Amino acid sequence: MSGSETPAITCRNVWQVFGNNADSALKEALSRHETPEAAAQELRGKGLVPAVQDASFDVKEGELFVIMGLSGSGKSTLIRCISHLLHATGGEIRIDGEDIVEASPKRLIELRRKKLGMVFQHFGLFPHMTVAENVAYPLRVQGVKKKQRLAKAQEVIELVGLGGREKNFPRELSGGQRQRVGIARSLVADCSVWFLDEPFSALDPLIRRQLQDEFLEIQAKLKTTIVFITHDINEALKLADRIAIMRDGKVVQIGTPADIVLRPVDDYVREFSKDVAKGRHARVASVMQEGEHHVYGADDPGLRQDMTLDAALARCMELYEPVPVRTDDGKLVGVVNPADLAAALQVEQG
Amino acid sequence: MASLSKGSIAALIAAVVGALCLALESSVPWLVKFPAAWVLPATDWVGAAMEWFLALIKPAARSFSALMFYPMEAANYVLSHTPWPLVICATTALAWSLGGVRMALMAVVGLGFVLASGYWPESMNTLALVAVSVPLALIIGGGIGILANEYPRIRQPVQAVLDIMQTVPTFAYLTPLLVLFGFGPVVGLIASAIYAAPPMARNVLLGLERVEPEIKEAAIMSGGTRLQQLFQCEIPSAGQQIMVGVNQCLMAALSMVIIAAVIGGFDDIGWEVLLTMRKAQFGQSLLAGLVIVIFAILIDRMSGTLTQDRRDRHDPRVAWGILALGVVVSVAFWGSVQQPGTYALFNPVADSVDRGLSSFTSANAEFLTALKNNVLFYVLLPMRIGLDQAVLPFTWGFAWTPMMSAALFAAGAAAGVVFALRGQMALGVMLLIAAGMLETGISQLPWPFVLVGAGALAWVAGGRGLAILTVVLLGTILLSGLWERALLSLYLSGAAVFACAVMGGAIGLASAVSPGVWRVVRPICDMLQTIPLFVFLIPVLMVFQIGEFSAFLAIIAYAIVPMIRYTRHGLVSTPDEMIEAATASGATKWQMLKDIRAPYAAPSILLGLNQTILYAFAMLVIAALIGTTGLGQSIYLALGQADVGLGISAGAAMAILALIADRMVQGFAEERRKALGL
Repeated sequence: MSGSETPAITCRNVWQVFGNNADSALKEALSRHETPEAAAQELRGKGLVPAVQDASFDVKEGELFVIMGLSGSGKSTLIRCISHLLHATGGEIRIDGEDIVEASPKRLIELRRKKLGMVFQHFGLFPHMTVAENVAYPLRVQGVKKKQRLAKAQEVIELVGLGGREKNFPRELSGGQRQRVGIARSLVADCSVWFLDEPFSALDPLIRRQLQDEFLEIQAKLKTTIVFITHDINEALKLADRIAIMRDGKVVQIGTPADIVLRPVDDYVREFSKDVAKGRHARVASVMQEGEHHVYGADDPGLRQDMTLDAALARCMELYEPVPVRTDDGKLVGVVNPADLAAALQVEQG
Repeated sequence: MASLSKGSIAALIAAVVGALCLALESSVPWLVKFPAAWVLPATDWVGAAMEWFLALIKPAARSFSALMFYPMEAANYVLSHTPWPLVICATTALAWSLGGVRMALMAVVGLGFVLASGYWPESMNTLALVAVSVPLALIIGGGIGILANEYPRIRQPVQAVLDIMQTVPTFAYLTPLLVLFGFGPVVGLIASAIYAAPPMARNVLLGLERVEPEIKEAAIMSGGTRLQQLFQCEIPSAGQQIMVGVNQCLMAALSMVIIAAVIGGFDDIGWEVLLTMRKAQFGQSLLAGLVIVIFAILIDRMSGTLTQDRRDRHDPRVAWGILALGVVVSVAFWGSVQQPGTYALFNPVADSVDRGLSSFTSANAEFLTALKNNVLFYVLLPMRIGLDQAVLPFTWGFAWTPMMSAALFAAGAAAGVVFALRGQMALGVMLLIAAGMLETGISQLPWPFVLVGAGALAWVAGGRGLAILTVVLLGTILLSGLWERALLSLYLSGAAVFACAVMGGAIGLASAVSPGVWRVVRPICDMLQTIPLFVFLIPVLMVFQIGEFSAFLAIIAYAIVPMIRYTRHGLVSTPDEMIEAATASGATKWQMLKDIRAPYAAPSILLGLNQTILYAFAMLVIAALIGTTGLGQSIYLALGQADVGLGISAGAAMAILALIADRMVQGFAEERRKALGL
């Protein structure tokens, strides 16, 4: 992927403040203070709630971007700003370069019909419509003929594995099946940006894992740009290309799963990854000293740079001197000190 | 003294003012009786203003009335000219598709009874009115509900107006409408449309507000326009709640159409009840009342199925079959079916009811009179005019002496001191106040005491805002010269509410403790709640004739239901965990009831009391038909004389009393809920 193309989603200094006259209060606070922290402090002092503070990030086309945080951290508010279910109080949000905050109501309807799809935590299914009618609804509002839209809905229903359930009503389905309907509905209009707001949080652990796997398969097939909200670090690490961690309305760290696990910026992030089996998520490359001229010992346990830390440590348990790391075709790319491997897995004890 | 609770302070203030008034009674008479010279002719002002206003919109109203004449005539023509076999079969077919065999049977039996009673044409006239007023009410109510949902800014005022409309007594609507539209069925039609629209508006708004936020968001993200979101997603999602509104709207319309019969001019079933009641033909009157009850139950149960979560589907072919049968029978026997009004199968029954009734009342005359007189002399009269005037040699066998007054106050004070020493200051002072009220009688309470006492109570219940509102509103009644009538209304409804609270609370408790009792009580409650207000008058009138006691009984019969329901519901719905915790602590069944269930149920019971109060006020006005004094009577008289000023002022005074009572009880319930963390 070349770095020069426009990101699918751009957020610059996004604020969402709840309360009376939030717009003018935010402008005033920003003009008076240098740092977002100070501005947020002033807003809180006035009894306003700065639910999202100064969030900035880009999501590349086709990227699976996960926003993670505890309840009340502002993650659901942020995704609603991006999908414009909420009008952001301040900042700039662009989708494919187009300003969403300033878009006209008419243009927003058009964007939602053609480009955006969203899945909700509690499914948000229409209780009076059958599965097929629910899934076909985004086409119905566009005025697509009944036969045509039901045919298209059928395709998506098959894709999410709900074939045979078309005539059922939502209340007759299990939680997992309901969320499949929600997913199918958000996909029926061929969206290119897909918002998922804690889609699997309300489900049993077993069903959750199954749906995560199927979700990854669908994603591999469709390659849409995705913003995915979760409060579950394991889910985030499993699915994400990159993760943004939120706390009290602020984005505290953005990085790959390995970054989050191995190089947490503060105790808050460290606390999250405490219970995570790091060895299974971080790769050798993340602790390797790069370069071809390093000195290493006589043993070569055969480390590859995309091996997980667990696998690498298993091979050099007995070794004390640095060992070489190679690419799949045997080219030397750097060395790893076995002590660093062990240390990386022990971060939380430091 | 710093540790005095809010309640104690309020009670003390009220007690001091009351004592002052009593002490100064002889030297400063205006403290007790509000001088007539101070009264503003507010009633006349209201009358003049209203008449001016009504004259202004009269042309528009009259042309609207002329407009409504056509659909009404059409509905009337269709319903009265459709052969009755077809009407019965069509209703049965509808009942089948709504509720299956049970509902269909109910429809056949019910309409069969109506036919056999000979009240078919009158019933069809009533139905025609309902058939026109309900769509009108649905459109108005639904529109208001949707608009209030779309524009949050108008939501609060709309809610306030709906609240007030609910407390204005039904008869009070009629007088201005009468002036506006002239005598005739259109008044009933419009009154019932106005009366039936608020429940629809309320439920539509509630339903739309309660649609899950994610469903609304899903509709937005699907790319729907606002209208698409509203009509394709939000309104259908709120369907059940809206159907509750439709059900309530239907019942309200029916109830009002029947009440509007008081105006006369339309040969409907309500008029029939009124006519036979006036002629003391109670058998016939009961028969006509039963016809009303049947319609109420059929309409309620049939529309009630729409509000259920999962409805069974019933084979539509059966419905078509029943309908076809109706057509075939109608065509085949076109010439030979009897006119529906000529059946009179139950006349012998009605006559024997009449005969049985007179023999029953003459056989038990002694007992009935004793019952009536005992309640009147020993309960109602002392509450009304106080012990000092109610206790006479003629009634109690001895005269009330100042010594007895002193003894009463001494007993009250002693009990008060005992409670105060035990740390229940407020309760103690309230006992003393109660003794004072018993001595004086509610209708003769000194007005400064009522203002201060009500204000103090309102302050405890809802803070300063409510206290000010209460004093200002009561002051308005005082100045308008309706004060004495208001106190009389307050006394009768107060007595009825008190009786309802005691008896309803006991029945609710029994129903909560024993499922067997509830199995008996529940259908009775369902029945009482479906019957239009009007019909309650018939049985009490049959046994106790016209008078305050009959009115008292009718009010109790109508207003007791919410007390029973809410008491039971509150007691039964204690969370299982709390019950288990109490059981594990070794509580007996009685301890559990007293210490766990009752406190938890308190907010719910208070809400029941609130409903009971509102019901009692509503019935008070209807009961004016059979003899009550006070505001209800004024409203009824105003209707007869088309006196808009008196009608509106008395109606407003009634609404004020209901509103204040409502706010106070709500305030207490809210406080209890907060204290329990609910």
